[in-house]
Amino acid sequence: MDFGLLTQFAINGLMLGMMYALVAVGFTLFFGVLDVIVFSHGDVVMVGGFAGLTTFYWLDAIYPGLSHGLMLLWVALASMASMALLGIVMARTMILRLRSAPPLNTLLATMMLGTVLREAVRLFYPNGSNPKPFPALLPDWSLDMGHLSLRLDNLILFSLGALLIVSIHLLITRTRLGMAIRAVAQDAETARIMGVNFNAIVFLTFALGSAAAAFAGIMNGLYYNEINFGMGLLLGAIGFSAAVIGGLGNIYGAILGGFAFAFLQTLGAVALPFASAYKDVFAFGVVILIMAWRPTGFIAEKTSERV
Amino acid sequence: MFKPMMIEDVYTAYGKADVLSGVTMEVWPGRITCLLGSNGSGKSTLIRSILGLTPPHSGSIVFDGLELAGLPPHGIVARGIACIPEGRRIFAKMTVEENLRMGAYLERSDAKVRANMERIYETFPRLRERRLQLAGTMSGGEQAMVSIGRGLMSSPRLLIIDEPSLGLSPALVNDNFRIIRQICESGTAVFLVEQNVRQTLAISHCGYVLAQGRVVASGTAEELRNDPEVRQAYFG
Repeated sequence: MDFGLLTQFAINGLMLGMMYALVAVGFTLFFGVLDVIVFSHGDVVMVGGFAGLTTFYWLDAIYPGLSHGLMLLWVALASMASMALLGIVMARTMILRLRSAPPLNTLLATMMLGTVLREAVRLFYPNGSNPKPFPALLPDWSLDMGHLSLRLDNLILFSLGALLIVSIHLLITRTRLGMAIRAVAQDAETARIMGVNFNAIVFLTFALGSAAAAFAGIMNGLYYNEINFGMGLLLGAIGFSAAVIGGLGNIYGAILGGFAFAFLQTLGAVALPFASAYKDVFAFGVVILIMAWRPTGFIAEKTSERV
Repeated sequence: MFKPMMIEDVYTAYGKADVLSGVTMEVWPGRITCLLGSNGSGKSTLIRSILGLTPPHSGSIVFDGLELAGLPPHGIVARGIACIPEGRRIFAKMTVEENLRMGAYLERSDAKVRANMERIYETFPRLRERRLQLAGTMSGGEQAMVSIGRGLMSSPRLLIIDEPSLGLSPALVNDNFRIIRQICESGTAVFLVEQNVRQTLAISHCGYVLAQGRVVASGTAEELRNDPEVRQAYFG
């Protein structure tokens, strides 16, 4: 196969990997801090995309001449802020209330919440059951060399995603609040004895994870030029798988897992050119094998003893 | 000097069953007050009640003139109370230095945090050598130092120490007791929960004996040592 085409596959894989990593980081943060799997997380990605689209319509109506760069800034900020708020509301009204209930109840409740979000967009968003074109807010400049097309918009999207992930990582490893998040993840009760406000840390975690999901939703819209009400289902399954194969509860694992999943999809597409529609089947199949081979994920998190 | 902690007629329950039924005690600054009692007597529950982890359903706990019952744990810790929990409970995947920083989590002034850390490093030079090591990879004795150091990082006015000698060698237990005495001499109120009755009474000023959620004996360490019931229960 020709080098240009392979590079093209690699670039597409990196773009998808960044998107998946952004979703997986949320799964892993929620699990780390509260030991819960939040199945509605994929649908938060979708709602984030729609929140961004709505912001675009509003801004376009109020300030028609706004430059695309500023437009994107506001779209991203509004979507991330509103999803952060949604995350806090979810944590407060559902997840924390269900803490004393069996974990399965939380699992079920978040699955149902996902359906509610999905159906709400389908039924109440204007013409919500159809895919929505997402505005191209990034410059369409590209460098074409045979099969290879280096697109500036992809480079910008990837850099913004990387910036967000690095920021989250620095927040968790370098700041006082991040230290509190890690302390709660390791031993919530001892963290409380040290004076950590447990609820506040849970809210912060849900705000962070959901804001990252919102950005993934916008990235998805800009990358595929459209969003639809059902896109959260697959993204949620992929983000969850990525977090699990990386090692649930570990933020490096989530990033690694996201890129690993995108690599598998791309490999599936390259290796099965006659049936590239099966790339997801291939990728999820390999994920099952990875889980059988390494049940704790690439970076095992739960091996250390919990005193 | 501040006022003592007054625990008055505290009732705490898990579900519907009372684990503490009307506990009343005082813990004074500059003194080591010990709490003795067998497993299941309610010692841990009393500590959880003071810290707000399992709030009492009736009674009052007043510290420095302020009611603690009803405050969340972070509100209680902010009043100047710290705890060295049973089993050390260090943050295994954090460095020694991060563990110490967690001990002063509510202290906003970085200068104070650094000064306190310096003080801890002087008491435990070993921790300075290992300050960037993950605490979970250290030996049991070193982990105990981390836990004690962490408890002292906030310069607490009341320090609750839960079973400090559990699982430590006799030499380390002696070290611990020496440090506890130093903490107390610096004016801190120490509330010491221990199974090691003989050594505990040797360093305590006064104490209480808890059985089935009630105080069954109290007095100075001397009085407790000579109390026939305590003698029968602990010294055989």
